[in-house]
Formats: sequence, C-alpha cells, structure tokens
Amino acid sequence: MASEDEIFEKVRDALVEALGVDDDEVTPEATLQGDLDAESIDFLDIVFRLEKSFDIKIERGELFPEDILTNVEYVEDGKVNDTGIAKLRERMPFADLSKFEAEPVVQNLGQQLTVKDMCNFVAYKLAA
Amino acid sequence: MRFWLLDRICSFEPDTELTAVKNVSLSEEYLADHFPDFPVLPGVFMLEAATQASAWLVRLSENFAHSIVVLHEARAVKYADFVTPGNTLKVQVKKQKSDERFVHFRFEGEVEGRVSVSGRLVLERYNLGDTNPEQADLDARMIAHQRSTAELLTRGIDIAAVL
Amino acid sequence: MRWFWIDRYTEFVSGSHAVAVKGVTLAEDHLHDHMAGYPIMPNSLVVEGMAQAGGLLVSERYDFGELVVLGKLAKAKFHSCVRNGETLTYRVRVDTIRSDGAAVSGTAHVGDRLHAEALLFFARLGDANEALQGQRLFHPRHLRHWLSLVGIFEVGVHQDGTPMKEKDYPLTECAADPA
Repeated sequence: MASEDEIFEKVRDALVEALGVDDDEVTPEATLQGDLDAESIDFLDIVFRLEKSFDIKIERGELFPEDILTNVEYVEDGKVNDTGIAKLRERMPFADLSKFEAEPVVQNLGQQLTVKDMCNFVAYKLAA
Repeated sequence: MRFWLLDRICSFEPDTELTAVKNVSLSEEYLADHFPDFPVLPGVFMLEAATQASAWLVRLSENFAHSIVVLHEARAVKYADFVTPGNTLKVQVKKQKSDERFVHFRFEGEVEGRVSVSGRLVLERYNLGDTNPEQADLDARMIAHQRSTAELLTRGIDIAAVL
Repeated sequence: MRWFWIDRYTEFVSGSHAVAVKGVTLAEDHLHDHMAGYPIMPNSLVVEGMAQAGGLLVSERYDFGELVVLGKLAKAKFHSCVRNGETLTYRVRVDTIRSDGAAVSGTAHVGDRLHAEALLFFARLGDANEALQGQRLFHPRHLRHWLSLVGIFEVGVHQDGTPMKEKDYPLTECAADPA
C-alpha cells in the first residue's frame, strides 16, 4: 500500500503532465480549478493518468460528482440542499467538504477541490 | 490556400514574448468541411497559429539565423471554446527557455478576452547546411523569403525600435 | 484546402484500433508555404491526421451518431521531417472510452521510421452542449459521405471479426444528399 508521500508524488506528476504546470505549483492546498486551471477536459486526462499510475478504476462522477450537482432533487436556486449535501458526503468521503457546506453554491465545489482531496481520493480507492 | 495562420504580428519583445492575430473568415475553404453546417476553426490550426507565432519570435529575435523552424513537441494543449467565422483569435506566446536546438514556449489564444486554447510547445531550429553544406544556398534563399514575409506581418511595428 | 487529413483506412477494428494512410504530395498548397523552398508536412496536420483516424474510431462506439471533437492534445512529439512523396501511416488505439469522452494513443510512421507519437482526448459534446448554441455539429449524411471516402466499411470489422455494415448505423436522413 503506497505511503502518503508516494501518493502525493505520483498525483503531483500526473497533474504536472496533464496541466502543464510546474512542480512547485502543485502544493497540497492548491485548488485544481482555481490555482491549477483544470477544466473538465483536464479531468478526463487526470483520471486517465491516475488510473494508469495507481492501477485503479475511476468511474465517471466518482472524483467529481457532476451528476449530484446537476440533479434538481439536490439543487435549489444554485445551491445544494441538505439531501444533496448528505449525498455528497456519501459519495466523497475522501474530501473535506466543511468549507463547501458553509456556502454550498454549486460552482464552489469544483473551485474548492484541492490536490490534498485528490490524494485522499487515491488513498481511499487503494484501500477499498 | 496559403499556409499563413497569422494575419498580423501586433507586438513582440525579443526572446520574451509575441502577440499576433488570426481572423477567421468564411472564405477559408477548409471551413466547408469543418464542419459543413457548423464552421469552426480547427483546433490544430490554433496550435499551428501558436507554432507560427513562436517561430516568428525566434526568427525576429535571432535575426533569421535558421531556415528550418518546426514544431518538435506539444503538451497540454487544451481547447476551451470554438472560434467561429467573423472572430479574431489573438495568440500570445511566451518563451520559457532555449538551447542550441530547441526553444520552449507557453501559449494562449483568446477571442475577446475569452480563452480558446492554451498549452505548451517546443520548436526545433536548424539549417539544412548543418548536415549538407551543398544546401547552404537553399538556406539563404529560404531565409530571404522568410524576411520578406516577416516584413508583411510586422508592417504596423517599428522593428528597429524593438530590436 | 480540403479538411481530409487521412486518405484511407487500411484497418479498422471497432472499439480497439485502426490504421490509416496519408500521402504527402506537392499538389497540396500548404507545402509550398511550409516551408517555402523545402516542403515539410506541418506537424499540426500530422496531429489532425491522428485526430481524424482516432476520432472516427471513437465515434463508431457512439454508433456514428455523434462526432467527437478534439478536446485536448495531451502530448505530441515529433522525431523527423515528413517530405513530399512520403506516405504517413497512422496507427491509433482506444485507451479509454467513457460516456463523456475518450483517450486515444497514436503513432505516425513513414515506412519503418517513427515520426510521431501522441495522446489525444476527445470530448463528447451531446445535443445540449452550450458551445453548440443549439445547432448540430454535423448532419449524418455528411458523416456517411466521409466514412465512405475513407473506406471504413470496406475494411471495418467488429471485435469478433464480422464486417461492419453501413446499414447497422443510423446514418440516413430524409433529406436528399448534398450535391
């Protein structure tokens, strides 16, 4: 089972390759969309590299739950409701959602996802 | 069709960066195939525009030292938005580093402030005469042609002041 | 300039891989500008060749009901110059296909000489995509025309070896074919 450092290094390499950013830009607190400019096409690339790098399978919506964020049952007036938040917690046990829950505007989730969240996701998948 | 993917070089700083524009026009033949009912600038032509902008920066900065300047590598070239006829793609390239053979760039293309493409590329540059001295004359002729093309592209700029 | 950057498929296995060829000829306008005096096939158009070869391979998995667009060129590396009179052979392989897009790896050879390698990501747009502004990217009859030109149904097979047949795909429309 890979150590935290090993996971971080491989995740960092995947992000450097996929996003064309420099090594030192990829810090644990760096946000994927905000700091590293990742867009949806990049997530396809990142997922592909993580799958290869860690020999795991990542289903659509596992890392980033766009299906929850676009479901009218869970979203009201551009904000995720309580049922939606419960669903997100269930789907994303690896992520720190406290900041998001304070102001659950749909667009914020993507903006707030960090490199650390991604490392936690990989650890969670490896342990499963 | 001419394979000139830039219409004008707007500004440049030697060895640093260059900004150029490409207008997309319905008169460009290939748009009839890409796509018949939805003409858009092909993504690889955005890459080519960035490649040509980078190549011009190299030539202008190095006084046309090399006849051959070609795309060696492209990385993380992301297409964010379609560019449709009637729009102008503004391409900005920034040199990152270089050695004797290769020059590295980051680039971005935008339409009215919205990013359409971004990425990194590496150019390779050399003269045919490096490996075949008989071709040194050909290098010189190619370079002379490239100089006159550059004059057309940089008509709005006071080159002497920049260099 | 027409926008056909592969001439024909020589191999096409649904959901797996394909091989296509492209001849480089002085009859092509762009070679006279790139470079003037020493024609070299532009590498951006080599990328397009791989994108077309791979894009149709991906599109077949969606029953040719959609065209996919090149969303990202993750990497491309070029090792030589391709000159007039040479023939490029593109070999493309599906790495991943998902509901939102696909990853394709490709190589370009001139004979035995490796000229290029690339990794491409295709995005599947879907009807509701904002970027399309309510329009269709293409009409089925145009795609059918292109598929016919590049010989997909002449060489195409499913993974079990049975031939791919045009009538198995929803490529027809009520409107008359274009002139």
